[in-house]
Amino acid sequence: MPRAINSRDDAAALQVDVQSKTFAAVAGRVAHTVLRNVSLAVAPKSFVVITGPSGCGKSTLLNIVAGLDRDYEGQIRFSAADPRVSFIFQTPRLLPWCTVEQNIALPLADGDPRRANIPELLARVGLSGAETAYPERLSLGMQRRVAIARGFVLEPDILLMDEPFVSLDDPTAHALRTLVVELWQRHRATVLFVTHDRTESVRLATRIVRMAALTDGLASNIVSDTAVALTEAQRADPVAVRAELARVFDAA
Amino acid sequence: MSLVRKSSATGSWQVRSGSLAAGSWLDRLAWTALSLTVLIVLWAIAAAIAQNRHGPGPLAVFQVMAGEAASGALWVHLSATLARVLASFVIAMLIGSAIGLALGRNKLADKFFDAWLVLFLNLPALVIIALSYVWLGPWETTAITAVAINKIPNAAVQMREGARNLSRDLDEMALVYRFGWWKTLRYVTLPQLGPFFAAAARSGLALVWKIVLVVEALGGHSKGVGHQIFTAFQSFDVAVILAYALAFIAVIQFVEFGALQPMQARLNRWKR
Repeated sequence: MPRAINSRDDAAALQVDVQSKTFAAVAGRVAHTVLRNVSLAVAPKSFVVITGPSGCGKSTLLNIVAGLDRDYEGQIRFSAADPRVSFIFQTPRLLPWCTVEQNIALPLADGDPRRANIPELLARVGLSGAETAYPERLSLGMQRRVAIARGFVLEPDILLMDEPFVSLDDPTAHALRTLVVELWQRHRATVLFVTHDRTESVRLATRIVRMAALTDGLASNIVSDTAVALTEAQRADPVAVRAELARVFDAA
Repeated sequence: MSLVRKSSATGSWQVRSGSLAAGSWLDRLAWTALSLTVLIVLWAIAAAIAQNRHGPGPLAVFQVMAGEAASGALWVHLSATLARVLASFVIAMLIGSAIGLALGRNKLADKFFDAWLVLFLNLPALVIIALSYVWLGPWETTAITAVAINKIPNAAVQMREGARNLSRDLDEMALVYRFGWWKTLRYVTLPQLGPFFAAAARSGLALVWKIVLVVEALGGHSKGVGHQIFTAFQSFDVAVILAYALAFIAVIQFVEFGALQPMQARLNRWKR
């Protein structure tokens, strides 16, 4: 089992140990365990993509790391004493009654000096001029840009992303992927990124963690954990991406 | 006169939304004036045909109203009633909202108190008023309490619906980004409850003022529109009854038009 090698790592920015996560029986569904013995040490400033079929518990794992789901057995440890955590969700989750600028500023306290960075951040995500717009007047792509800006305004230690580019057309998704990588390189957060899109995972990740249930209906755990060996130039090259896809996903 | 087009001056999206409520209050004012004028004309015709002592025409009623206004009696009674309406309205909205929010957020409490709520919703206003005066005595606070108790269950039901509809997604977002309780309340929770509160307030005002009149009539208060109407009723003086009723309707419509509707429009300005 390759993951045993780095399942404990004192240098990790984030150490995930989920012994088990069970959803209680509700509304006719029997209780079921989605995660069992998931251990993951995330190196500082790395971009780790967690991928796997839908329903395998990727989002659940992210919610546990974010502290939104506390009903599990295990432990989440951060190297920073009080880590700044940002979460870019599957839907933008903006406050519709707040303007673009207010939405981005809300995670910051009133006198926070990082408020001064908002205009630059807005320009970087391509929202200059939309400061006073309300989110519902924007396209989904624009709303996601606002959510990305909100995710980065904190200059987070840990950045969690849960399929943030779903239901976008290809060019828009591509533009936002490039944007996220740019921002990540600038701020160097430790990223945990969930997607079921394999090509996306190869384009973005420094490391790909695959999750799956070994038997149908059983709890998922980590089935492979591979470093991605692509340079920035190769990530834009379809041939290199295809080769890396085969290496990462067909080996296991 | 095409008042619908007025709204297009403020932004083309308002016209596309096709809703009269979107912001064309001038348009609504024109329609209200037109429809009320027609009603008054019909009333004048009916009164002229009937020629009955108990069916005064609009002119007779407005003369009574002007007389009461000139003597100052109208203002004394209107302001007494308005003060009771506002006091019981504010109390009912505060307590009703608090109960509604608690029930909407706590499933166990909701299961338990739902039956109580249904009971109070169906308790006739007259019963609440009678019991309030029997138990609390003929005081000003009794009037306000009785009216508030009548409205509290309605406000609670409407706010409970709002609390049940609070978005878990946004709650989680606020939690991750560490908004804290005040920011969460101010920017996440209250804006979601706003439309429910506005609806409860508008229906509440309509309910409260009608009950205040009953309380004033039954409670033996010496001031108030209800007292005047009850006195006039004993001598079958229909003109006085109508004069006071219409004057108070005008006051309530003024509050609705001048305060509640602009408040609702402001709360909804972010909507597309």
